[in-house]
Amino acid sequence: MQRQTSLLAARGLTDERDRLLTADDPLADLHQRCGGTLPGVLAVPELLALVQQGRRLGLKIAREFTAYDGADLVSGFVRVHPLDEEQGGGCELLIENWQARSVPEPNSRDLAERLDAIDRACAEVTARLDPQQRIQLFQTSAADAGQLQDAVSEAPGSVWTDHITLDGMAHRQPLHWRLLDGAHCHVPGSNRRWRVRLLPIGPANGAPRGFELLLVADHPLAQVAENEGEEGKEQTHAELIGGALTPVLRQPIARIIANAETIRARLAGPLRAEYSDYAGNIASAGQHLSGLLDDLADLEVVEAADFTTEREPVDLGDAARRAAGILGVRARAKNIELVLPIRDDTPMAIGEFRRVLQVLLNLIGNAIAYSPENSVVTIVAEAGGTNDTVCVTVRDEGPGIEPDEANRIFNKFERLGRENDGGSGLGLYISSRLAQAMDGTLDIANPGEEGAAFRLTLPVSRPG
Amino acid sequence: MDKDCALTSAGVNPVETVLRDELARADRALSGVAPVLGHILASTGHSLVSDAIVARVRGMLNDIARQLVSQLPATDPQDPRADPAENLAEDFANDAPMLDYVHAVALEAILTEQLDQRASIDPVLSPLWQELIASQDAMTGEIAMQALAAQSRFMQAQRRMQHAVCEMPPEVLERALRLWARTTPVEREPEVTKAMRALKADYDEAQSRVGLIARLIATMRGGVIAALELEHAGFALFVSALAHLSGQSRERAVLACHARQAARLALSLRAAGLETETIERQFHTLEPADRVPRGLGELASETARAMLRQSDALSGDAILATGQR
Repeated sequence: MQRQTSLLAARGLTDERDRLLTADDPLADLHQRCGGTLPGVLAVPELLALVQQGRRLGLKIAREFTAYDGADLVSGFVRVHPLDEEQGGGCELLIENWQARSVPEPNSRDLAERLDAIDRACAEVTARLDPQQRIQLFQTSAADAGQLQDAVSEAPGSVWTDHITLDGMAHRQPLHWRLLDGAHCHVPGSNRRWRVRLLPIGPANGAPRGFELLLVADHPLAQVAENEGEEGKEQTHAELIGGALTPVLRQPIARIIANAETIRARLAGPLRAEYSDYAGNIASAGQHLSGLLDDLADLEVVEAADFTTEREPVDLGDAARRAAGILGVRARAKNIELVLPIRDDTPMAIGEFRRVLQVLLNLIGNAIAYSPENSVVTIVAEAGGTNDTVCVTVRDEGPGIEPDEANRIFNKFERLGRENDGGSGLGLYISSRLAQAMDGTLDIANPGEEGAAFRLTLPVSRPG
Repeated sequence: MDKDCALTSAGVNPVETVLRDELARADRALSGVAPVLGHILASTGHSLVSDAIVARVRGMLNDIARQLVSQLPATDPQDPRADPAENLAEDFANDAPMLDYVHAVALEAILTEQLDQRASIDPVLSPLWQELIASQDAMTGEIAMQALAAQSRFMQAQRRMQHAVCEMPPEVLERALRLWARTTPVEREPEVTKAMRALKADYDEAQSRVGLIARLIATMRGGVIAALELEHAGFALFVSALAHLSGQSRERAVLACHARQAARLALSLRAAGLETETIERQFHTLEPADRVPRGLGELASETARAMLRQSDALSGDAILATGQR
């Protein structure tokens, strides 16, 4: 039954508002499975209570805790060390004896009862219905259900389905209650999605004496922002794709691509050519999806309020050579020659090597994509227009960029009319944000001329 | 000139103030008589408030107060005011949560000694403890050694009717510090604040005896149930395991082992998931006043747990009842 065992299992650090700042994997994972974000308010209820207690008492406490992470029952022994104001005023958490046990399956009757209890507790609209599903009593605590309440009170004794729209049920209402229980619906005046629970009242065997109607919203209505609210909300949104979606989607997409490639290459046996081509299409669509996901995750990173880059000397020539090396295969496939800067010509810039490489990969990748076959892509690293800048320019022989496009091209989701080439419209936007984060710029060196030339300009690194 | 007419400017005779305080104190003392007397009369033989317990409680409260006051630079011995430690101990004695805690500690020590005499269960080193020290896992062995040292210090301190401040649970320590701060004269406040900061910085529940035993119990994982065999585990481990498995505070688990709390013991053991046969063995060792209730085995473990929780909630000593130790 025990799946994982270890003694000192995880450390974590919270701040003065009980937000988890850093945490080792098991704790970070549990925190996120409990609905938390990193950094964000500690989402494991018992740990949060202990951290608050430790901070209030100003004493190091040591307690057991248990938590349910959605699949396993996690328990452990946590030591909470409150920190001084100078150290952030939060707590250090040391967790020993981490163990995860599978939860015994509750019998279905208990489970059903528990789910009913949860729905009763979460319902924001409740009503009591008579056996013909006419509303006898109506109550709501939701701010966005006011319109529904007015409609109900104007039509006493009406059937509840007159007032809401049930998803995917055009049938004349009311249906048998068993068919309505669990359906989704729209409540007039509310943007949230609601779930219907219809629980019969009366003896289990026999006609119900009436019904308990619960409408449960899919998410709570956002609280009117307190000073922290806005910040917290933004963060949740910002981590949706990078933090939550990307890890989950990456594996299945990789599997789709791999399997499609297997079929395309006929590795498992002979296949008709059309089917092989279809599989090729599936693989390339999967690759597109995977690239899009990477772009979206990058987008979140560069758009985060606290995004910064390292400041280190970067050899632009070296970065360009590496980027060209990575994309060499793609270039050769279209018989494009990549002309690289001369080795001695190595102006040093200030930036973050990884990010510079990312920008160059994007620029050179674009140049290869939009150049005709048998052409040349030239990459030049040189001193910039002013004394304190250096720049690297990627020039291709494809169609030029018109002056009116030169600014638009760096906008988010800008495709300049190209719809079916596999791009997300994010690459140049991300590159431009990266350049700005490194105190540099990304622009078009030759608007209106034939052959586009993209120029990344960065501050120069002064020796010493 | 009649001296009795020398009133203060506020119109209150100082004698009146002093006497009013004294009278309030006397009233408090009187109000306690009836329940205590009632309890002692009702219990034949074993009482929850025996002389031995009262003596230990008083000794420990004095000791705790003395440890706190000794953190401050010594006052002038000619100071006409009474001994500050004595005053503080008196305040502790009027504080129900502090009393509840110290009472449970005294009871634990007395029960440990009784089990030693009656059933020769070692107060410090039990067979289970030996096994844990010899554990394959280095960290378990080390915690077991530290806990053993703490248990040995605890029994020694109990013989002297002392209790180290750093051994108190955080909730109780915080209460003691608050009482101390409240009774401190204004001119000594900065010193007290400084002393408190130092005390708090030194404190670590994980290093206290109860904290170490709890960590030890946690390393046993599913094997904790083995600690519910009193003769094998010894009283200290038994009580911690009982608290852990029945979802009660450790203080409650100690109380459950008192001769007049058989129902609580039966429910606690059942809540911990023991079968009737094993429960009877523990009853045999602890010799409570009542026998194992018939049909206990039919009571679901969850029900027993819920009954205990309800009792905790009703008895209202919130500070200890809600603790998860």
